Amino acid sequence: MGALRLPSLALLFSPSKALRSSSASRPLRLRPPVIRKVSASLSGGASRALSTQSLANEEATPPSAADRKPSSGPEGSVTPRSVDFNAWYLDVIASAELADYGPVRGTMVIRPYGYAIWESIQEYLNSKFKETGHSNMYFPQFIPYSFIEKEASHVEGFSPELALVTIGGGKELEEKLVVRPTSETIVNHMFTQWIQSYRDLPLMINQWANVTRWEMRTKPFVRTLEFLWQEGHTAHATLEEAEKEALQMIDVYRKFAYEQAAIPVIAGRKSRAETFAGATQTYTIEAMMGDRKALQAGTSHNLGQNFSRAFGTQFTDENGQRQHVWQTSWAVSTRFIGGIIMTHGDDAGLMLPPRIAPIQGVPLRIEVGPRDIGNRSVVVCRRDIPGKPGKDFGISMEPSKLESHVKSRLEDIQASLLQRAISFRDGNIVDVNSYEELKAVIGQGKWARGPWSAGDNEELKVKEETGATIRCFPFEQPLGKKTCFMTGNPADEVAIFAKSY
Amino acid sequence: MATSNTDTSNARKKEVKKETRLGLTYKKDKDFGEWYSEVCVAGEMIEYYDISGCYILRPWTMAIWETLQAFFDAEIKKMNVKNVYFPLFVTENVLQKEKDHIEGFAPEVAWVTKSGQSEMEIPIAIRPTSETVMYPYYSKWIRGHRDLPLKLNQWCNVVRWEFSHPTPFIRSREFLWQEGHTAFATQDEADQEVLEILELYRRIYEEFLAIPVIKGKKSELEKFAGGFYTTSVEAFIPNTGRGIQGATSHCLGQNFAKMFEINFENEKGEKAMVWQNSWAYSTRTIGVMVMVHGDDKGLVLPPKVASVQVIVIPVPYKDADTQAIFDACRSTVDTLCKAGFRAEVDLRDNYSPGWKYSHWEMKGVPLRIEIGPKDLANKQVRVVCRDNGAKMDIPMHSLVEQVKEILSNIQESLFNAAKQKREACVKVINTWDEFIAALNNKKLILAPWCDEEDVEKDVKARTKGEHGAAKTLCTPFDQPRLPEGTLCFASGKPAKKWTYWGRSY
Repeated sequence: MGALRLPSLALLFSPSKALRSSSASRPLRLRPPVIRKVSASLSGGASRALSTQSLANEEATPPSAADRKPSSGPEGSVTPRSVDFNAWYLDVIASAELADYGPVRGTMVIRPYGYAIWESIQEYLNSKFKETGHSNMYFPQFIPYSFIEKEASHVEGFSPELALVTIGGGKELEEKLVVRPTSETIVNHMFTQWIQSYRDLPLMINQWANVTRWEMRTKPFVRTLEFLWQEGHTAHATLEEAEKEALQMIDVYRKFAYEQAAIPVIAGRKSRAETFAGATQTYTIEAMMGDRKALQAGTSHNLGQNFSRAFGTQFTDENGQRQHVWQTSWAVSTRFIGGIIMTHGDDAGLMLPPRIAPIQGVPLRIEVGPRDIGNRSVVVCRRDIPGKPGKDFGISMEPSKLESHVKSRLEDIQASLLQRAISFRDGNIVDVNSYEELKAVIGQGKWARGPWSAGDNEELKVKEETGATIRCFPFEQPLGKKTCFMTGNPADEVAIFAKSY
Repeated sequence: MATSNTDTSNARKKEVKKETRLGLTYKKDKDFGEWYSEVCVAGEMIEYYDISGCYILRPWTMAIWETLQAFFDAEIKKMNVKNVYFPLFVTENVLQKEKDHIEGFAPEVAWVTKSGQSEMEIPIAIRPTSETVMYPYYSKWIRGHRDLPLKLNQWCNVVRWEFSHPTPFIRSREFLWQEGHTAFATQDEADQEVLEILELYRRIYEEFLAIPVIKGKKSELEKFAGGFYTTSVEAFIPNTGRGIQGATSHCLGQNFAKMFEINFENEKGEKAMVWQNSWAYSTRTIGVMVMVHGDDKGLVLPPKVASVQVIVIPVPYKDADTQAIFDACRSTVDTLCKAGFRAEVDLRDNYSPGWKYSHWEMKGVPLRIEIGPKDLANKQVRVVCRDNGAKMDIPMHSLVEQVKEILSNIQESLFNAAKQKREACVKVINTWDEFIAALNNKKLILAPWCDEEDVEKDVKARTKGEHGAAKTLCTPFDQPRLPEGTLCFASGKPAKKWTYWGRSY
């Protein structure tokens, strides 16, 4: 008989057969694979230089990591995590071709594979935002300096990091312009114009944009001069509504982290010292990276009336009284990709949870060799389990059988990545009852969790002496009476301390 | 401070906004410029901002942008183009690399000169376009023929600090766009892609925005600074008699490959330079849509891109069962949404139906459905089309099929009306005098031309004035027959081709 014709992969992964889930439990959705010759972008062994050099050699002080030569191993290999976690991280990014260094110090070029992960994140979050009643907008990138100055603590917090444009079209500008580090000030400026009465509320918008913060220390994805994000901004008639919205959005982020990225974040409230410049309350999702440092993966702020008072954003309530609006803002950025890399990656390189992998054939590899053709079967290999234990031999090529096998394997991988991350996290958080214990735990590189009711000064002392900061007061609190481990006073909550990115 | 129930409801009654002269102050045919600005703001697409030339894009705009984006993104993904993101900032030395390119863009660059409190040693430019940002990486990433073709695209914002009259969407200092940058081993592949992309741009205009465009090649004077040749889709605004460049697809040739040393080892083992393209369309598309279709009542949105395609409005009447009317409205929206339409209901009790009609007409919603007690009784709905005001009653049971047909008719008739209007503006001329007359009559001029750069420069110089100089818009691919002996309208030399000329945005 004639050569066996492999059923087209597109048929196997036909989107119509994939489970379209409701927002409740989201079973894995298969994406049509990209069938292409193994092009340069995925293969590790092509002849590109794995340069980590910044291109603009003239640029002042490139970050030290940029000067580091690629690992001495064979092309595409990666420094083991245990040897040098930072070098491992940079190697993975280079070998998986996620990003490259930009011409200006601290900027990054997001390559197709890295950008595709961002698009995955965008797709999911965008639909969640729409579901929760938000509309997308686009605000200008330039902010007159006078706007930034309006909210005192905001300008104090951001001024060292502002990039200022003073020349445009060959002429000195009348007023220097700030390249947005975040858009609260412009948003408020417009909210003031759009909101007159309670009927105009709630006003709920979001934008996907690039922002610029002139950071000193940078690290691809985690901290770059320019990064991509979404920033949601809402205005409400009452504090309760604003609070509800802030908590709703941090929960959207938390679910996203758990369910899509398989990252078991801890959601909680920031300490006052760590709260966003201009907010009354900041909520956060904290992730534990492979080196056990904490990464703030997403934030949601209750801005109270701080900006509305500074900008005069008022409305007439149902009783005819003028009130200031209550606001929130919340954001997730390309930093999240850094979190994915550092949570799941291993010494073989990048490990992507199937639900956000641009190409799901990468968490799962299907091998077809001559013997397999003869048997009309394929070998299905898991990226997360190396060697033979991760392989399923003799999986039938028959479309429905292969599809269901692949689906369930992808689900297994997703679940297993999450489980692994949970075990790792829980194994590295230690409950402490004294400052000495905390010092020891932090010294071991772990997270410390203990009752805390001390003030900003004590918090600063901990930071100076151990390098650890309060990541958050987690929403999930243990019951029972607690005593602050620092002061001995009663404490309502436990806080989590850790060194962080 | 509590108020009694009657007080509150009295207060609310007072609040009900009746049909006021919600209409525009300016008329499209009389004060086009003012009309346009007014419609963009009143239609809630744009908000002006404290920085001249920068605008806020409101949800009504973003929905359109996102529709076009979804279409274009899916199409280029089919062509194996990958999305990326390159930095906003570029250093001066890199910006200077392609001489002609920088000459074209340098005057418009915005510079970051300070960070925090300190002056920067070397000021940093904000991208006016990303060729110089991206191509050093192309040089690095492309080594062998197996690395080709390299097809990348990015969706981003760019900044061009212009001083010419800013116009929402059409000419702004910051705008959103996509820019595709591709590299090939051969010129043939590059040439082919240029046209494939141009066809996508045509579809954006003609299929989505219902705007007729002309495909053609730009003159040497008008082509992309530093490129080899430029193709474009050109639209025309009859009210102002100006052409407008809709989108461009350039073949860069090997010019940038030379400057940035983008070489590869071909299959024979020889070193060769790549052939490159770059192509872009921007939020300008939305401005063209407003200009072409809008009228004195406000925006007119083609159903394919309208954020809301159908708005359902209850028309309560004194003793009528308001609740039943509201329910019917909600279920109508439900039915339409389930059938895949973008439908919404306006149940706000502080606005009268008349006010709502004007408001949603201002916003350009293609179809309005009214439901009052009589409609309820007759199990029908009243449908009003935004483009021509046509009204009809349709039975509830055939709602979906009829709405589908009506919307598709609206899309088609918007396109046809725009095409007719444009055709009426075309003037074929042969002499200089005819040219000037046509220019003054706001025509889209088709003229035989000798294809010399100096001649075009001369035409520009001679037509300079308060309305702006005339220039070539494009040489259409679709060439009418050029009779033997035809002379160039401007130089009198033998004509080589038919070219569209006019004033432009």
